[in-house]
Amino acid sequence: MIKLLSQRLLGPVTLLALAATLWMGLVVTPPDKVQGDLARLVYVHPALAWVALYLSFGTATIASGLYLWKRTRSMVMDRVAHSAMEVSLVFIVLTLITGSIWGRPTWGVWWAWDARLTSTAILGVLALGYLALRRANDDPTLRARRSAVLAILAAINVPIIHFSVQWWKTLHQGATVFTASRTLLIHGSMAWTLLLSFVAFTMLFFWLLRARYRLEVQRERTSGQSLRDALEERRREGAF
Amino acid sequence: MTSTEAPLDLTPVEPPSSPSRSRWRSLGVVAVLALAVLALLSQGLLHSLNYFKTVDEVLANRASVGDSVIRLEGVVKPDTITRTSSGASFILAGSGSNQVSVIARGTPPQLFQANIPVVVVGHFTTRASSVFDGTQILVKHTASYIAQHPSRVQAPNGTTR
Repeated sequence: MIKLLSQRLLGPVTLLALAATLWMGLVVTPPDKVQGDLARLVYVHPALAWVALYLSFGTATIASGLYLWKRTRSMVMDRVAHSAMEVSLVFIVLTLITGSIWGRPTWGVWWAWDARLTSTAILGVLALGYLALRRANDDPTLRARRSAVLAILAAINVPIIHFSVQWWKTLHQGATVFTASRTLLIHGSMAWTLLLSFVAFTMLFFWLLRARYRLEVQRERTSGQSLRDALEERRREGAF
Repeated sequence: MTSTEAPLDLTPVEPPSSPSRSRWRSLGVVAVLALAVLALLSQGLLHSLNYFKTVDEVLANRASVGDSVIRLEGVVKPDTITRTSSGASFILAGSGSNQVSVIARGTPPQLFQANIPVVVVGHFTTRASSVFDGTQILVKHTASYIAQHPSRVQAPNGTTR
Protein backbone atom coordinates (compact mmCIF):
# COMPACT_ATOMS: atom_id res chain seq x y z
CA MET A 1 0.00 0.00 0.00
CA ILE A 2 2.73 2.45 1.03
CA LYS A 3 4.82 1.38 -1.97
CA LEU A 4 1.92 1.95 -4.34
CA LEU A 5 1.14 5.33 -2.78
CA SER A 6 4.77 6.47 -3.01
CA GLN A 7 4.92 5.36 -6.66
CA ARG A 8 1.74 7.28 -7.47
CA LEU A 9 2.82 10.38 -5.55
CA LEU A 10 6.41 10.61 -6.78
CA GLY A 11 5.53 12.35 -10.04
CA PRO A 12 3.12 14.99 -8.68
CA VAL A 13 5.31 15.72 -5.64
CA THR A 14 8.36 16.12 -7.91
CA LEU A 15 6.50 18.60 -10.10
CA LEU A 16 5.36 20.51 -7.02
CA ALA A 17 8.92 20.65 -5.66
CA LEU A 18 10.25 21.88 -9.02
CA ALA A 19 7.52 24.53 -9.19
CA ALA A 20 8.35 25.63 -5.63
CA THR A 21 12.04 25.88 -6.57
CA LEU A 22 11.16 28.00 -9.58
CA TRP A 23 8.96 30.31 -7.50
CA MET A 24 11.51 30.64 -4.70
CA GLY A 25 14.36 31.13 -7.16
CA LEU A 26 12.65 33.72 -9.34
CA VAL A 27 10.36 35.56 -6.92
CA VAL A 28 11.29 35.11 -3.26
CA THR A 29 15.10 35.16 -3.19
CA PRO A 30 16.99 38.46 -3.52
CA PRO A 31 19.58 39.14 -6.24
CA ASP A 32 23.24 38.48 -5.42
CA LYS A 33 25.46 41.37 -4.36
CA VAL A 34 27.95 40.82 -7.21
CA GLN A 35 26.17 38.76 -9.85
CA GLY A 36 22.70 40.28 -9.45
CA ASP A 37 19.95 38.20 -11.08
CA LEU A 38 22.50 35.98 -12.85
CA ALA A 39 23.01 34.20 -9.53
CA ARG A 40 19.53 32.69 -9.82
CA LEU A 41 21.11 30.01 -11.98
CA VAL A 42 22.55 28.65 -8.74
CA TYR A 43 19.13 27.10 -8.09
CA VAL A 44 19.40 25.00 -11.25
CA HIS A 45 23.00 24.38 -12.32
CA PRO A 46 24.50 22.80 -9.15
CA ALA A 47 21.41 20.59 -8.62
CA LEU A 48 21.69 19.35 -12.22
CA ALA A 49 25.37 18.57 -11.65
CA TRP A 50 24.49 16.79 -8.39
CA VAL A 51 22.09 14.47 -10.24
CA ALA A 52 24.41 14.00 -13.24
CA LEU A 53 27.63 13.22 -11.40
CA TYR A 54 26.72 11.77 -8.04
CA LEU A 55 23.20 10.32 -8.18
CA SER A 56 22.93 9.01 -11.74
CA PHE A 57 26.54 8.14 -12.43
CA GLY A 58 26.88 6.84 -8.86
CA THR A 59 23.82 4.61 -9.27
CA ALA A 60 25.10 3.33 -12.63
CA THR A 61 28.50 2.56 -11.09
CA ILE A 62 27.11 0.77 -8.02
CA ALA A 63 24.65 -1.25 -10.14
CA SER A 64 27.50 -2.16 -12.53
CA GLY A 65 29.64 -3.28 -9.59
CA LEU A 66 26.79 -5.39 -8.25
CA TYR A 67 26.34 -6.93 -11.69
CA LEU A 68 30.01 -7.88 -11.90
CA TRP A 69 29.97 -9.35 -8.40
CA LYS A 70 28.83 -12.98 -8.83
CA ARG A 71 26.70 -13.08 -5.68
CA THR A 72 24.53 -10.15 -6.76
CA ARG A 73 24.66 -10.65 -10.53
CA SER A 74 21.28 -10.22 -12.21
CA MET A 75 19.83 -8.48 -15.24
CA VAL A 76 18.01 -6.16 -12.84
CA MET A 77 21.37 -4.58 -11.97
CA ASP A 78 22.22 -4.26 -15.66
CA ARG A 79 18.89 -2.56 -16.35
CA VAL A 80 19.36 -0.17 -13.40
CA ALA A 81 22.87 0.72 -14.61
CA HIS A 82 21.68 1.30 -18.16
CA SER A 83 18.72 3.44 -17.07
CA ALA A 84 20.81 5.49 -14.65
CA MET A 85 23.50 6.08 -17.29
CA GLU A 86 20.94 7.42 -19.75
CA VAL A 87 19.58 9.80 -17.09
CA SER A 88 23.16 10.78 -16.26
CA LEU A 89 23.96 11.67 -19.87
CA VAL A 90 20.87 13.91 -20.12
CA PHE A 91 21.82 15.69 -16.89
CA ILE A 92 25.49 16.07 -17.88
CA VAL A 93 24.40 17.78 -21.10
CA LEU A 94 21.99 20.02 -19.15
CA THR A 95 24.77 20.83 -16.65
CA LEU A 96 27.10 21.88 -19.48
CA ILE A 97 24.39 23.94 -21.20
CA THR A 98 23.31 25.81 -18.04
CA GLY A 99 26.97 26.32 -17.10
CA SER A 100 27.64 27.80 -20.51
CA ILE A 101 24.61 30.11 -20.24
CA TRP A 102 25.90 31.25 -16.83
CA GLY A 103 29.49 31.56 -18.02
CA ARG A 104 28.84 33.94 -20.93
CA PRO A 105 27.65 36.96 -18.89
CA THR A 106 29.79 36.28 -15.80
CA TRP A 107 33.14 35.09 -17.16
CA GLY A 108 32.64 36.66 -20.57
CA VAL A 109 32.99 33.37 -22.53
CA TRP A 110 30.69 30.45 -23.30
CA TRP A 111 33.39 27.87 -22.61
CA ALA A 112 36.84 27.65 -21.01
CA TRP A 113 39.16 24.66 -21.17
CA ASP A 114 39.74 24.53 -17.42
CA ALA A 115 39.97 21.34 -15.38
CA ARG A 116 36.35 21.34 -14.12
CA LEU A 117 34.72 21.95 -17.50
CA THR A 118 37.02 19.62 -19.43
CA SER A 119 36.65 16.73 -16.98
CA THR A 120 32.85 17.13 -17.01
CA ALA A 121 32.83 17.08 -20.83
CA ILE A 122 34.96 13.91 -20.68
CA LEU A 123 32.37 12.30 -18.38
CA GLY A 124 29.69 13.13 -20.95
CA VAL A 125 31.74 11.45 -23.69
CA LEU A 126 32.28 8.40 -21.47
CA ALA A 127 28.52 8.14 -20.77
CA LEU A 128 27.88 8.36 -24.51
CA GLY A 129 30.54 5.67 -25.07
CA TYR A 130 28.82 3.44 -22.50
CA LEU A 131 25.55 3.64 -24.45
CA ALA A 132 27.36 3.06 -27.76
CA LEU A 133 29.09 -0.01 -26.30
CA ARG A 134 25.72 -1.44 -25.34
CA ARG A 135 24.50 -1.02 -28.92
CA ALA A 136 27.64 -2.77 -30.23
CA ASN A 137 26.87 -6.00 -28.35
CA ASP A 138 23.86 -8.15 -29.22
CA ASP A 139 24.43 -10.81 -26.58
CA PRO A 140 22.79 -9.57 -23.33
CA THR A 141 25.36 -11.19 -21.01
CA LEU A 142 28.34 -9.89 -22.95
CA ARG A 143 26.71 -6.47 -23.24
CA ALA A 144 26.05 -6.28 -19.52
CA ARG A 145 29.59 -7.36 -18.59
CA ARG A 146 31.44 -5.07 -20.98
CA SER A 147 29.32 -2.00 -20.21
CA ALA A 148 29.64 -2.63 -16.46
CA VAL A 149 33.43 -2.64 -16.73
CA LEU A 150 33.35 0.62 -18.72
CA ALA A 151 31.00 2.27 -16.19
CA ILE A 152 33.36 1.44 -13.32
CA LEU A 153 36.42 2.69 -15.22
CA ALA A 154 34.58 5.90 -16.20
CA ALA A 155 33.59 6.52 -12.57
CA ILE A 156 37.25 7.29 -11.75
CA ASN A 157 36.57 10.66 -13.40
CA VAL A 158 33.87 11.64 -10.88
CA PRO A 159 36.20 12.39 -7.92
CA ILE A 160 38.55 14.15 -10.38
CA ILE A 161 35.67 16.45 -11.37
CA HIS A 162 34.72 17.02 -7.73
CA PHE A 163 38.21 17.90 -6.52
CA SER A 164 39.37 19.65 -9.73
CA VAL A 165 38.56 23.10 -8.27
CA GLN A 166 40.73 22.30 -5.23
CA TRP A 167 43.59 20.48 -6.94
CA TRP A 168 44.10 22.96 -9.79
CA LYS A 169 43.52 26.63 -10.57
CA THR A 170 40.25 26.82 -12.50
CA LEU A 171 38.07 29.58 -13.91
CA HIS A 172 35.09 27.69 -12.51
CA GLN A 173 34.25 28.79 -8.98
CA GLY A 174 35.14 26.62 -5.99
CA ALA A 175 32.57 24.69 -3.99
CA THR A 176 29.71 26.65 -2.41
CA VAL A 177 28.09 23.76 -0.52
CA PHE A 178 30.59 20.90 -0.29
CA THR A 179 33.49 23.10 0.81
CA ALA A 180 36.66 21.69 2.34
CA SER A 181 36.02 23.69 5.52
CA ARG A 182 32.34 22.58 5.53
CA THR A 183 31.24 26.20 5.59
CA LEU A 184 28.18 27.07 3.55
CA LEU A 185 29.02 30.07 1.37
CA ILE A 186 25.44 31.05 0.62
CA HIS A 187 23.08 32.71 3.04
CA GLY A 188 19.45 33.05 4.14
CA SER A 189 16.65 32.31 1.71
CA MET A 190 19.22 31.70 -1.03
CA ALA A 191 20.60 28.73 0.94
CA TRP A 192 17.13 27.28 1.61
CA THR A 193 16.18 27.59 -2.05
CA LEU A 194 19.43 25.88 -3.05
CA LEU A 195 18.58 23.03 -0.66
CA LEU A 196 15.06 22.81 -2.09
CA SER A 197 16.48 22.61 -5.63
CA PHE A 198 18.67 19.67 -4.60
CA VAL A 199 15.63 17.87 -3.11
CA ALA A 200 13.46 18.60 -6.18
CA PHE A 201 16.04 17.44 -8.68
CA THR A 202 16.81 14.34 -6.58
CA MET A 203 13.13 13.40 -6.75
CA LEU A 204 13.16 14.09 -10.49
CA PHE A 205 16.07 11.67 -10.82
CA PHE A 206 14.20 8.86 -9.05
CA TRP A 207 11.08 9.55 -11.11
CA LEU A 208 13.01 9.43 -14.39
CA LEU A 209 15.01 6.37 -13.32
CA ARG A 210 11.84 4.48 -12.43
CA ALA A 211 10.16 5.44 -15.72
CA ARG A 212 13.23 4.46 -17.77
CA TYR A 213 13.58 1.15 -15.92
CA ARG A 214 9.93 0.27 -16.54
CA LEU A 215 10.33 1.18 -20.20
CA GLU A 216 13.32 -1.16 -20.48
CA VAL A 217 11.39 -4.03 -18.87
CA GLN A 218 8.50 -3.39 -21.25
CA ARG A 219 10.86 -3.31 -24.25
CA GLU A 220 12.44 -6.63 -23.28
CA ARG A 221 9.01 -8.16 -22.72
CA THR A 222 7.78 -6.92 -26.12
CA SER A 223 10.85 -8.17 -28.00
CA GLY A 224 10.54 -11.54 -26.23
CA GLN A 225 6.85 -11.74 -27.15
CA SER A 226 7.64 -10.90 -30.82
CA LEU A 227 10.14 -13.77 -30.92
CA ARG A 228 7.63 -16.17 -29.39
CA ASP A 229 4.96 -15.05 -31.91
CA ALA A 230 7.36 -15.54 -34.84
CA LEU A 231 8.29 -19.05 -33.65
CA GLU A 232 4.62 -19.94 -33.21
CA GLU A 233 3.89 -18.74 -36.73
CA ARG A 234 6.69 -20.89 -38.18
CA ARG A 235 5.39 -23.92 -36.26
CA ARG A 236 1.94 -23.37 -37.67
CA GLU A 237 3.40 -23.11 -41.18
CA GLY A 238 5.22 -26.41 -40.67
CA ALA A 239 2.00 -28.16 -39.60
CA PHE A 240 0.40 -27.69 -43.03
CA MET B 1 -0.63 -24.50 -49.13
CA THR B 2 -3.41 -23.36 -51.47
CA SER B 3 -2.83 -21.84 -54.91
CA THR B 4 -4.17 -18.42 -53.73
CA GLU B 5 -1.46 -18.01 -51.03
CA ALA B 6 1.68 -15.99 -51.76
CA PRO B 7 4.87 -18.06 -52.27
CA LEU B 8 7.16 -18.41 -49.25
CA ASP B 9 9.87 -15.78 -48.97
CA LEU B 10 13.07 -17.81 -49.20
CA THR B 11 15.46 -14.86 -49.31
CA PRO B 12 18.46 -15.63 -47.07
CA VAL B 13 18.38 -13.63 -43.87
CA GLU B 14 21.39 -12.18 -42.04
CA PRO B 15 22.73 -14.63 -39.47
CA PRO B 16 22.82 -13.38 -35.86
CA SER B 17 26.05 -11.57 -35.11
CA SER B 18 28.82 -13.80 -33.85
CA PRO B 19 30.85 -13.09 -30.67
CA SER B 20 33.86 -12.11 -32.80
CA ARG B 21 31.82 -9.48 -34.67
CA SER B 22 30.61 -8.18 -31.33
CA ARG B 23 34.17 -8.04 -30.10
CA TRP B 24 35.33 -6.03 -33.12
CA ARG B 25 32.45 -3.61 -32.78
CA SER B 26 33.17 -3.19 -29.06
CA LEU B 27 36.84 -2.56 -29.82
CA GLY B 28 35.81 0.03 -32.40
CA VAL B 29 33.62 1.83 -29.85
CA VAL B 30 36.40 1.77 -27.24
CA ALA B 31 38.93 3.09 -29.79
CA VAL B 32 36.65 5.98 -30.82
CA LEU B 33 35.96 6.69 -27.14
CA ALA B 34 39.68 6.76 -26.31
CA LEU B 35 40.34 9.14 -29.22
CA ALA B 36 37.51 11.47 -28.13
CA VAL B 37 38.78 11.55 -24.53
CA LEU B 38 42.34 12.19 -25.72
CA ALA B 39 41.13 15.01 -27.98
CA LEU B 40 39.36 16.68 -25.04
CA LEU B 41 42.37 16.16 -22.78
CA SER B 42 44.72 17.67 -25.32
CA GLN B 43 42.49 20.74 -25.61
CA GLY B 44 42.05 21.26 -21.93
CA LEU B 45 44.56 19.66 -19.67
CA LEU B 46 47.65 18.29 -21.36
CA HIS B 47 49.29 21.74 -21.78
CA SER B 48 48.62 22.81 -18.24
CA LEU B 49 46.29 21.55 -15.54
CA ASN B 50 46.19 25.04 -14.07
CA TYR B 51 44.07 27.45 -16.10
CA PHE B 52 46.04 30.56 -15.07
CA LYS B 53 49.10 31.91 -13.29
CA THR B 54 48.66 34.33 -10.40
CA VAL B 55 50.27 37.77 -10.29
CA ASP B 56 52.54 36.51 -7.47
CA GLU B 57 53.71 33.47 -9.49
CA VAL B 58 54.38 35.54 -12.60
CA LEU B 59 56.33 38.23 -10.76
CA ALA B 60 58.36 35.57 -8.94
CA ASN B 61 59.30 34.02 -12.30
CA ARG B 62 59.26 37.17 -14.43
CA ALA B 63 62.38 36.26 -16.45
CA SER B 64 61.07 32.85 -17.51
CA VAL B 65 57.63 34.25 -18.44
CA GLY B 66 59.22 36.80 -20.80
CA ASP B 67 56.69 38.03 -23.33
CA SER B 68 54.95 34.70 -23.90
CA VAL B 69 51.15 34.51 -23.95
CA ILE B 70 49.74 33.58 -20.54
CA ARG B 71 46.55 33.79 -18.51
CA LEU B 72 47.21 36.15 -15.61
CA GLU B 73 45.02 36.15 -12.50
CA GLY B 74 44.66 38.86 -9.89
CA VAL B 75 42.19 41.21 -8.24
CA VAL B 76 41.25 44.48 -9.95
CA LYS B 77 42.65 47.24 -7.74
CA PRO B 78 40.00 49.87 -6.78
CA ASP B 79 40.19 53.32 -8.38
CA THR B 80 42.54 52.17 -11.14
CA ILE B 81 40.02 51.32 -13.88
CA THR B 82 40.13 53.66 -16.87
CA ARG B 83 37.85 52.96 -19.81
CA THR B 84 39.65 53.51 -23.09
CA SER B 85 38.36 53.63 -26.66
CA SER B 86 39.71 50.12 -27.28
CA GLY B 87 38.96 48.56 -23.86
CA ALA B 88 40.14 49.28 -20.33
CA SER B 89 43.31 49.78 -18.35
CA PHE B 90 43.66 48.88 -14.68
CA ILE B 91 46.03 47.47 -12.10
CA LEU B 92 45.90 43.79 -11.24
CA ALA B 93 46.90 43.13 -7.64
CA GLY B 94 48.38 40.04 -6.07
CA SER B 95 49.36 39.60 -2.44
CA GLY B 96 51.25 42.37 -0.63
CA SER B 97 52.63 44.95 -3.01
CA ASN B 98 52.68 42.64 -6.05
CA GLN B 99 50.84 44.24 -8.93
CA VAL B 100 50.81 44.41 -12.72
CA SER B 101 49.58 47.24 -14.91
CA VAL B 102 47.17 45.93 -17.56
CA ILE B 103 46.06 47.52 -20.83
CA ALA B 104 43.26 45.36 -22.18
CA ARG B 105 41.56 45.49 -25.55
CA GLY B 106 37.93 44.52 -26.20
CA THR B 107 34.77 44.99 -24.17
CA PRO B 108 35.14 43.69 -20.61
CA PRO B 109 32.43 41.26 -19.32
CA GLN B 110 29.42 42.85 -17.62
CA LEU B 111 30.60 41.81 -14.13
CA PHE B 112 33.98 43.51 -14.56
CA GLN B 113 34.49 45.95 -11.67
CA ALA B 114 36.89 46.90 -8.90
CA ASN B 115 37.80 44.32 -6.24
CA ILE B 116 36.80 41.37 -8.42
CA PRO B 117 39.19 38.54 -9.36
CA VAL B 118 39.83 38.41 -13.11
CA VAL B 119 41.91 36.37 -15.53
CA VAL B 120 43.52 38.38 -18.34
CA VAL B 121 44.74 36.59 -21.47
CA GLY B 122 47.73 38.32 -23.06
CA HIS B 123 51.45 38.96 -22.70
CA PHE B 124 53.92 41.50 -21.31
CA THR B 125 54.70 44.17 -23.92
CA THR B 126 58.44 43.32 -23.81
CA ARG B 127 60.54 40.65 -22.08
CA ALA B 128 61.38 43.02 -19.21
CA SER B 129 58.25 45.20 -19.23
CA SER B 130 55.87 45.48 -16.29
CA VAL B 131 52.93 46.39 -18.56
CA PHE B 132 50.65 43.53 -19.56
CA ASP B 133 48.91 43.69 -22.93
CA GLY B 134 45.56 41.91 -22.53
CA THR B 135 43.46 40.59 -25.39
CA GLN B 136 40.65 39.16 -23.27
CA ILE B 137 39.32 39.69 -19.73
CA LEU B 138 37.55 36.81 -17.95
CA VAL B 139 35.81 37.49 -14.65
CA LYS B 140 36.44 34.81 -12.05
CA HIS B 141 33.59 35.20 -9.58
CA THR B 142 33.87 33.78 -6.08
CA ALA B 143 31.90 30.88 -4.60
CA SER B 144 30.09 33.17 -2.12
CA TYR B 145 26.51 34.28 -2.62
CA ILE B 146 25.47 37.29 -0.55
CA ALA B 147 22.06 38.91 -0.83
CA GLN B 148 21.85 42.37 -2.30
CA HIS B 149 20.12 44.91 -0.02
CA PRO B 150 18.90 47.70 -2.26
CA SER B 151 17.39 49.58 0.69
CA ARG B 152 20.77 50.05 2.31
CA VAL B 153 22.55 53.30 1.54
CA GLN B 154 26.22 53.61 0.77
CA ALA B 155 28.25 56.07 2.78
CA PRO B 156 30.89 58.26 1.07
CA ASN B 157 33.61 56.08 2.62
CA GLY B 158 32.19 53.00 0.83
CA THR B 159 30.51 51.29 3.79
CA THR B 160 26.80 50.33 3.71
CA ARG B 161 24.29 51.28 6.44
